[in-house]
Amino acid sequence: MANMREIRERIDSIKQILKITNAMYLISSSKLKKARKALDSTEPYYYKLQETISSVLEHTPHTRQMYFDRRTDIPPEKRKKGYIVITADKGLCGSYNHNILKFTEQELAKSPDINNCYLFVLGHVGRMYFTSRLKNSSKPFVDGEFLYTTQNPTLYRAMEIARLVLEKFENRELDEVYVIYTDMINSSVQEERMIQLLPFSRKHFGKAPDGTMKKLPKASFLPSPEEVMAHLIPNYTKGIIYGAMVEAFCCEQQSRMTAMDAATTSAKDMIKELSLLYNRARQGAITQEITEVVSGSGALSANV
Amino acid sequence: MAKTFHLEIIAANRIFYQGECEHLVITAIDGLLGIMAGHEPLVTVLPTGELKYMVNGQWQYAAISEGFIQVMPESSVILADTCELPEEIDIKRAEEARERAQEQLRQKQSIHEYYQTQAALNRAMNRLKISQKHFK
Repeated sequence: MANMREIRERIDSIKQILKITNAMYLISSSKLKKARKALDSTEPYYYKLQETISSVLEHTPHTRQMYFDRRTDIPPEKRKKGYIVITADKGLCGSYNHNILKFTEQELAKSPDINNCYLFVLGHVGRMYFTSRLKNSSKPFVDGEFLYTTQNPTLYRAMEIARLVLEKFENRELDEVYVIYTDMINSSVQEERMIQLLPFSRKHFGKAPDGTMKKLPKASFLPSPEEVMAHLIPNYTKGIIYGAMVEAFCCEQQSRMTAMDAATTSAKDMIKELSLLYNRARQGAITQEITEVVSGSGALSANV
Repeated sequence: MAKTFHLEIIAANRIFYQGECEHLVITAIDGLLGIMAGHEPLVTVLPTGELKYMVNGQWQYAAISEGFIQVMPESSVILADTCELPEEIDIKRAEEARERAQEQLRQKQSIHEYYQTQAALNRAMNRLKISQKHFK
């Protein structure tokens, strides 16, 4: 009998959780719709920005602009590297957080001195992870005042972040700046990606821009290449950060939706299995009772 | 009809315009700049300001906030944070933003905040100006 009660309690608790996961599924799917819309409307800008900048750079004469300064005088182990890592604010989104954190760890492991790594983490999960990680051993420096949410990315937030890293770069508090985020390839495939923001190098625009613009002579810059670059690069940085935020947010919602969908399905499966067990136990109990009654009455009639 | 060139105006949240254009006038960082088909390759920065382009002999106006333009003889690309038609501007919101920015400017603050507020004020003023000028 205890068995039956146990099973029933189990089924009840699963039903409760099912309600939660199902609600979360619905919420994330509506959020995903919004995020997708934002992504679709931002993507042309994001790609065009990369494409245009790369073609602009092809026409740019060599400049001594400070954002291009690779600071080769600083040896690799002394270089201060900044990483902007975009994670989620909440858990329960499958392996989304895990993947991006692991990817970041791998990138951090590559750098010669982890004490020279500075992390700017967007999203609560990542921030908690990196602040509490490996207390005893050396760890990267996590900027505690860098408190930005990843929900509903705005251009304004991207601008603030861009301003912050550019300022640190200018003051030589950082020598290299990267963005780590999750890129949405299609609705089922996501990929962690790292982009180098600063120093600005022509090399990382490896993608071939469409051939039409290739054969053109050097473009003129108004008022001067340095002046244009001084405006263009902060703008580009902002655009890239914004694009990465939008992509990452969309990925987060996508993975949460998938995870919650999977949780709901497996909860349903569990309920199905448990109700079978429950029915079997109930049937067993009834059979046992009948046997008892029958044998009891049999014993009585035998006595008479 | 005048010779045309391909113009793309892309804002961070949408493709604002994509198509042929006869004449484009932008406010560049150091003054007005007119662009027609066959212009020499050029790159310049656009501050918050006004933009107009001619399609089929009609001038179209727009409010634009910070961005840059790449001009090629056959095509031009403008990438900006935001870009709006005069009739799309929410006058009430822009007025509120102006009030807010002016209020903030009156208070003491750091240089950074000052620049940021000034930029916000510029955007709001520009929106109001353009919507009043072209959309009554």
